[in-house]
Amino acid sequence: MFNYRFQWKQAWNRLPEMLDGALITMQVAILSMILGIVLAILLTLFRRSGNRVLSGVATTWVEIARNTPALFQIYMAHFGLAGIGIHLSPYSSLLLGITFNNAGYLAENFRGALKAIPDTQPRAGRSLGMSDLQAFRFIVLPQMIRISFPTITNQMVWAVLMTSLGVTVGMNMDLYGVTQDLNALTFRTFELFAIAAVIFYVIVKIIQAGAWLISRRLFRY
Amino acid sequence: MKVSLPSIAAIATIAISGSATADLLDDVISSGTLRCAVVLDFPPMGSRDADNNPQGFDVDYCNDLAKALGVEAEVVETTFPERIPALVSGQVDVAVASTSDTLERAKTVGFTIPYYAFENAVVANEGVEMADWEGMKGKTVGATAGTYEAIWLEGKVKEWGEGEFRPYQNQADVFLALSQGQLDATVSTVEVAEANVESGKFPGIKIVDKAPMVPDYVALITLREEQGLINYMNLFINQQVRTGRYAELYKKWVGDGEPADLTIPGVYR
Amino acid sequence: MFDTALTANDFIFLAKGAGMTIFVTAISVFFGTILGIVFGVIRYQLGPFWSAPLMFVLDIFRSIPLLIQLVLTYAFLGTVLRLGMSGLTVACIVLTLYTSAYCAEIVRGGIEAVPLTLRRAARSLGMTWAQDMRSIVLPLATRVALPSWIGLALGVMKDSALVYVVQVTELLKSTQILITRLQEPLLLLMICGAFYFVISFPVARFGGYLEKRWSND
Repeated sequence: MFNYRFQWKQAWNRLPEMLDGALITMQVAILSMILGIVLAILLTLFRRSGNRVLSGVATTWVEIARNTPALFQIYMAHFGLAGIGIHLSPYSSLLLGITFNNAGYLAENFRGALKAIPDTQPRAGRSLGMSDLQAFRFIVLPQMIRISFPTITNQMVWAVLMTSLGVTVGMNMDLYGVTQDLNALTFRTFELFAIAAVIFYVIVKIIQAGAWLISRRLFRY
Repeated sequence: MKVSLPSIAAIATIAISGSATADLLDDVISSGTLRCAVVLDFPPMGSRDADNNPQGFDVDYCNDLAKALGVEAEVVETTFPERIPALVSGQVDVAVASTSDTLERAKTVGFTIPYYAFENAVVANEGVEMADWEGMKGKTVGATAGTYEAIWLEGKVKEWGEGEFRPYQNQADVFLALSQGQLDATVSTVEVAEANVESGKFPGIKIVDKAPMVPDYVALITLREEQGLINYMNLFINQQVRTGRYAELYKKWVGDGEPADLTIPGVYR
Repeated sequence: MFDTALTANDFIFLAKGAGMTIFVTAISVFFGTILGIVFGVIRYQLGPFWSAPLMFVLDIFRSIPLLIQLVLTYAFLGTVLRLGMSGLTVACIVLTLYTSAYCAEIVRGGIEAVPLTLRRAARSLGMTWAQDMRSIVLPLATRVALPSWIGLALGVMKDSALVYVVQVTELLKSTQILITRLQEPLLLLMICGAFYFVISFPVARFGGYLEKRWSND
């Protein structure tokens, strides 16, 4: 029917290399999420702090992360920072770029989530003798995470998909980088990228299933 | 409406046999345009002039080929990793893109005889102690993803078992990273290395040594099954050398000196 | 720091790239939204079971990197089917479907946010399904969905930076072409980033304003 002959075997033989790449992809995504959540909580605190400098820094961060392409952020993390003398490996640049993006988006979402938590609650905590930070830690934070949980899951999926942008900063260990390397060797574009697509799909499904399990365990009312 | 399977098969057969009688060579001549994939961040083979129009050795070769065929040339810019997808997806008819003729790639696309041969040089950041090419061992090195020298260099790094290899998406990023000190060294064609060192746009880089690789023979490529066009281009490449056009373009884009030898002693072709 | 070899010509070149970014975004958001509304309504009307095949397909667009979607579609339409489509067409097709996949979810969420009792009331007043959809569901669902939709449209604009893989010279690609020639990466990247920011930021702020205004009534 088609003029094109599929050569699945040639691509299939490379599966082990691609699976190794998938592990790196997962690793970058998970690390960037952990760091991203911690930073997003910090940014949220900064924005609530009332300190002009701190909240200015946080707002700038959030707006840049949300209003420029992720590709641009990752590229800047590598070549931009090097322009002022900070040299990061492709792995660190990619991790930094995605973390920056994650933190920005999550911080914005956390802000929305906070609105759903009545101000009276932390005040009640304060009157029970909690410090400001304790009230945030024990009363606000758990609810905030619970409300934002679907968004956190989505951002995690995004983080996985964003690892594919690492190739622009010389990353060749992740799934997309490995696939591109193999493509340069064999020129079997369709077959290789189809396999990569399936692997990405499976990773995303695993994450969504995991998130569902976690939410069932943690958030039973 | 019910359509029987045999009738679909019959239509498909007609469609296929209809397209099989005219090959790509015929299509190009009758369409009046030759679409060439050219990499334009690879001076002096392909780059852009001050008005951002394509120029370079490969661009001229595309124009010459179109002229020989009696058609208009259309230059389609691709990067190294993207040139084959552009070809196999029918965006372009041929790629005049300094494509190294490896056996692995020949499984997918059709190569002509070589039309140019590169020698490769090791370029290092001035801050790095490096006497010859073996000094790259254990260093952070990089090259343009999808190129012959990248494949070679990555192989070397794996063989040495130390150091790090980074493929960037284009030549400019490689030299930017080298100039910034993110890379200790790179391997690129002598032509590109000299052009970049002389331009002064990348401060702090120097040519260290020639890379000990087999000369990188590059060929024109088209679809694997288009033997008619491949034959035509083989003759075209031969004629370019015979008529002195090859030497002329070498002088125009690369400089004085002997143009690279395209024959390999001791073997038929 | 800012003595540059950038000429007026180069700015026109960049502006052309920016125009391409806006063009691709506009086409994809327009058709993607129409498709997304259709898919979203189908999803709502058929229920989770019967719409499962459609949802499965749309979910794929949300679970695979856009870069791979573009490369694969390009390779499939071109290499396998030999349709000879231009990269721009492929970019618009993929981005349209990509937009519709996200838009369908937003639309469904919007419809579900309209209280069922309100719709039953409308139907018992003698409204047809179409009238109910147009006069009751559309205005109320739009209020819920519009802020997310603005976010989506801006997301598509930023994601359109990836269509460079199918040979479309949009803003980021034109920036890279100039970087190659002029070797002034930082300045050029700043200009490029500023452009995205200048478009995205006011629209995002406007979305935030709408969200705030509409949620407090």
